[in-house]
Amino acid sequence: MNKIIHIEDFSRSGGQLAQIDPAELMPLPPPYDKMSKPPIRQLTDEQRKRMDASLDGVVAIGLTPPANPEEEKAFIDKFLAGLEKLFTIENNWTFLQPLVHTLDYCVKCQICSDACPTYLASGRQEIYRPTMRAEILRRIISKYIKKENSLVRKFKASDIDLNWQTLARLAELAYRCTLCRRCAQVCLIGCDNALISREIRKIFSQQMGIAPKELHEKGAVQQLKVGSSTGMTPAALMNIIEFIEEEIEEKTGRKIKIPVDKKGADMLLIHNAGEFLAWPENLEAFAILLDAAGVDWTLSTEIAGYDSVNYGVWYDDFQFSRVAIRQSLAAKSLGVRKISLGECGHAHKAGIVVADRVLTGDLNIPRESILPLLEEIVISGRVKLDPSRNNFPVTLHDPCNMVRLMGIVAPQRRILKKICPQFREMTPHGVENYCCGGGSGFAIMQSTNFPDWRSAVSGRMKFKQILDAFHDVPGPEVKKYLCAPCSNCKGQFRDMFEYYGVWEKSGILYGGLVELIVNAMVDLKKPFIQWEWH
Amino acid sequence: MPQVEVGGKTYEVDEDGFLQELDKWSRDFAKGYAALEGIEGELTEEHWKLIDYIRNYYTQFGIAPMIRKMCKDTGLDLKKIYALFPSGPAKGACKLAGLSKPTGCV
Repeated sequence: MNKIIHIEDFSRSGGQLAQIDPAELMPLPPPYDKMSKPPIRQLTDEQRKRMDASLDGVVAIGLTPPANPEEEKAFIDKFLAGLEKLFTIENNWTFLQPLVHTLDYCVKCQICSDACPTYLASGRQEIYRPTMRAEILRRIISKYIKKENSLVRKFKASDIDLNWQTLARLAELAYRCTLCRRCAQVCLIGCDNALISREIRKIFSQQMGIAPKELHEKGAVQQLKVGSSTGMTPAALMNIIEFIEEEIEEKTGRKIKIPVDKKGADMLLIHNAGEFLAWPENLEAFAILLDAAGVDWTLSTEIAGYDSVNYGVWYDDFQFSRVAIRQSLAAKSLGVRKISLGECGHAHKAGIVVADRVLTGDLNIPRESILPLLEEIVISGRVKLDPSRNNFPVTLHDPCNMVRLMGIVAPQRRILKKICPQFREMTPHGVENYCCGGGSGFAIMQSTNFPDWRSAVSGRMKFKQILDAFHDVPGPEVKKYLCAPCSNCKGQFRDMFEYYGVWEKSGILYGGLVELIVNAMVDLKKPFIQWEWH
Repeated sequence: MPQVEVGGKTYEVDEDGFLQELDKWSRDFAKGYAALEGIEGELTEEHWKLIDYIRNYYTQFGIAPMIRKMCKDTGLDLKKIYALFPSGPAKGACKLAGLSKPTGCV
């Protein structure tokens, strides 16, 4: 049994609050039931001196302890100033209403805990309960913002001692939730505890300049500076597009000129830039299919116009707004009718949903998901497809932001049912899906032992679901395809599959949706999917 | 900031051993670092081919090359790259080439 942890424990200095015990983790089917290595790498003593790992021995941020009491006080004061701002409409024009609702109305019934893949897969670690962060925040507000008297607090059982240690642990804990919002979905009164994680991250980032490097400095800031969070400049982009055109010709014999900065095109397609560097077959497949279907489309070389990511949606309203505006400006300068987003989940949430709060007037260009267009191409018969070319087991992962948040459930299924004879669903799926474990930026957080944590804990439920979906063909001799129409999810699957040795043990390849469509194209002589790039 | 000692010299690296300042790189750095990356013996011509390719691409475009392109241009397939650099193209080869850790959704 994992130990019971009380909120008071968060304020105790020294020691590690929770231990991730391999024996307590949710069991996996064989051969993954016996892992020879410890699930999470221990930090070195030297690392522990520099970085606070007192929550669970894992580091997402790794704060350095203050040198003296003055520094500690300044740190706490800053946090409280940021917390206060969350409750004014001028400073929190994005999420004030659901934030207040969640803090005021949650009755701590814990239905959400049973819906949380991280909490369940961890073996029900107390600290990972979806309600934990909200309760810490509620107590801080009661004592330090509302300054309720000690009797009232005693009556409400809401005491807390705010020190540097409390906040360092809270900051880390905000990065143990993938913002999948399965908790919010099951809540009977609509409380959104994932939003609480996000708003805590926002205080740390906007008020205190604290955020994981991969999201902020190397993420949003780099995107606004050079054009993409990958560091890919427009010149590098053009170099890669040239390479992709060559690849298409070699694979299919087709000479396709990928449209770039085409003024007046009907649709600006924005991909997650990760596709250009890590999964070019996704871009190749899009180019082949859109060309065959006669779609009038273009890519952009403007800053953020060729990288759909908007990491701010996970941690910072300012960074979010800056990127959303740049993306819209890229579309405006080309005079396109609409922006279409490729296979990237959080970009759907950021660009299509949340950006509505930022984009006004002629910046509010129509923005949509590419999935319905893909469906229309497949179902209409505009491109001839032969399902027997996809005659291998296929299952579908539902990216949380596209599916649970936006309700884009059916298009990808109608496509797969038409072109994949061995398509099978996971259990549960659709809006009740489980997160890949890499949501909210986790898939790109590659430092210290955090990647171990997301493979062993936050991705564990999804990993089990994938294995269960292929339970009838478990061995590596049958090649199987996990369709994941989201770059972030693919990054998580790549890392998690390497961590568990999935290709060798189970023969599962992960990839996007459009690759399967192109693989079924009758006109192509050779299969498009190349199994050697697992 | 973590440090690593290679051939009697100290270098600043990130938490995962990637060199922080590109201009501190030298061929001696790569030679000395190879053992820490699980490469047995001296670096061979094929190791250098890959390291030089990565560095040239970086100088020209400011990022690490995509793996597919790296394989195609050097004629070394992914299996071969893993045989040369056991930690793989990004975590092994790029690290020895002195690049910082790849960022973004890659």
